[in-house]
Amino acid sequence: MTTPLEHELKEMIIESLELEDVTPEDIDPEEPLFVEGLGLDSIDALELGLALQKRYGITLESDGEASREHFANLKSLAALVEARRVK
Amino acid sequence: MSFRELRARPWRDRSNETPLVWCPPHGDAPGRELALSAWHRRVGAWQALLASLDDGRGAWLLFEPDPVEFSAALVAIWERGEAAILPADNQPETVRRLAEQGVALGEIPGAPRAGADRAPQWSDRPLPEIAVTLFTSGSTGAPQRLVKTFAQLDAELATQAALWPQAGCRVISQVSHQHIYGLFFALMRPLCEDATLVADTCRYPETLNAWLDACARDTKPAVVISAPPALSRLPETLAWQPGARSLRHVYSSGAPLARADSDRARALLATPVHEVYGSSETGGIGWRIQQQGEAWTPLPGVHIECDEAQRLWLDSPHLATGGWQRQADRIQRLPDSNDFLLLGRADPVAKIGGKRLSLAAMDRALGALDGVERAMSLPLQRRELRLAAVVALSPQCVPQHHAEHRALVRDLRRQLAAEFEPALLPRYWRFVSTWPTNAQGKLDAAIRQRLFADLDDRRVPRWLGEEAVADGFRVTLEVPERCQFLDGHFDGQPVLPGVALVHWAMTLAARLFAGPITFAGLERLRFTSPLLPGDRFTMTLTRRSGTPKLHLRCEGGRGEHASGRLALTGEAHDT
Repeated sequence: MTTPLEHELKEMIIESLELEDVTPEDIDPEEPLFVEGLGLDSIDALELGLALQKRYGITLESDGEASREHFANLKSLAALVEARRVK
Repeated sequence: MSFRELRARPWRDRSNETPLVWCPPHGDAPGRELALSAWHRRVGAWQALLASLDDGRGAWLLFEPDPVEFSAALVAIWERGEAAILPADNQPETVRRLAEQGVALGEIPGAPRAGADRAPQWSDRPLPEIAVTLFTSGSTGAPQRLVKTFAQLDAELATQAALWPQAGCRVISQVSHQHIYGLFFALMRPLCEDATLVADTCRYPETLNAWLDACARDTKPAVVISAPPALSRLPETLAWQPGARSLRHVYSSGAPLARADSDRARALLATPVHEVYGSSETGGIGWRIQQQGEAWTPLPGVHIECDEAQRLWLDSPHLATGGWQRQADRIQRLPDSNDFLLLGRADPVAKIGGKRLSLAAMDRALGALDGVERAMSLPLQRRELRLAAVVALSPQCVPQHHAEHRALVRDLRRQLAAEFEPALLPRYWRFVSTWPTNAQGKLDAAIRQRLFADLDDRRVPRWLGEEAVADGFRVTLEVPERCQFLDGHFDGQPVLPGVALVHWAMTLAARLFAGPITFAGLERLRFTSPLLPGDRFTMTLTRRSGTPKLHLRCEGGRGEHASGRLALTGEAHDT
């Protein structure tokens, strides 16, 4: 089951990264977002960090690698937003 | 000035004031400086490894993301008087192609890294003439092998040291040292100028923010070696002021930075961005600070000219050989000045996220994929010039609906990933069964615009070609997944409303048929099965001359979607 937050994040990913041929249903919450799964790349990682800051006011940790572990899949991203959102 | 050229082997000794390496804070661990002797023991470790692997070729293939290990390995190779070959990436295809050229080291599958610390051995063996061999994406598609001699590098290092001295600074890099820009700015310059290199590459803005704060706390000046992808995404929500106090210089290279991004970076970092224009082949050519103007100023010692085709001619100490050489870039000289505007490239090379991509190489790779008959990649003027691809497929391979389209895109991207970095892979795909051209047989700007119009206008279909039929036209379309008309129709399964289909038919008819066409009403129009997001279908529009009727038939992989006719007005113009 996709939660409302997960659905919102799917739409944010599709819009902010301009994934024109991806629908929310295509994003499996457990599947990796990067490389082999949805196929996102290093530029997308920067863009996604920016989108999270704009939309939810989340500031990622300075230890970039660790904070990007939250980007592993949609579930981990939703957990990050849940825990750290300020708006 | 504390500059010493590479040929003076500045890595063997340096003043005690500036450490060679700074290890930035990591998690709970505070930042610390690494003594020169500690780095020397890494050189010793690599020297021991090289001695054990020596196969007589005297050439080493080095891919190593860790700046400390990389710099130690590079110096170990130089001290042997041997050749350092730096692959641009460690993609399987790249590694396979270069396997014959030298012994693989570092983060290459199956390659070793240096072991425990060892004392370094300094001998009298002369340095090689060629410092590094690099690879760039050439306009012909094949990766171009490129050598840099110590003489060339030293000339440029001296120029930069005089122009923008950075002795005593910590040099934070956001770019790869496997490419010349990062290698030169983030490793060679600190080595030669008594500056400090940083033990890790700074990939994310939060990391940059924290490292600058650390520099400010330590009252150490900092320099940032950056590029447009990072500088265009500095979050305004981070507090940049405390760290920005430590900042002396911010450099950007790889591609021009958008003016708005330059302004924003300047405001956030309280430091102007020095953009450096150049290429792997030419070295640095010019620089600019956009708040002082759009034009570039040639670097000291670099001479430029412009020919009648607007092509840049270069005579530069940073080139391998002296004399004037014609370049692929087009420029415009400013009157009464050496400054120039950059107009773009004359050959088909795209810059994506600052990385150079030969469109010819991508076209060739696309064309070789299963089921692909013809392909063309094109950079779109949007978001970092993400790549688009127009691909003609054999009929049985054409995807008919969303799931097939997704599966095909994943498959094609997976195949290309063996050869190209992920960020270079096409993001926007247009699958056609017939190559779309204008009357002259060219896929021109108008056709291109039509193929990608749905990216900017959420109300139009994805257009994939059209052909004339008796009394009319057959147009191939897809329902864009993000089409605005799909919104809020049914929960769960969005469908394209019939009214949207009629709107598309009328818009196409207005372009395709001569004379004005005005909708006057529906007549016997049946919507037999709904069109879903991603569905591919043909829309056949016919109109018998002299009748005020437009016949419409839509068919897709699941059969007919709609058929019937529309009433028109405006007959007077048609007879």
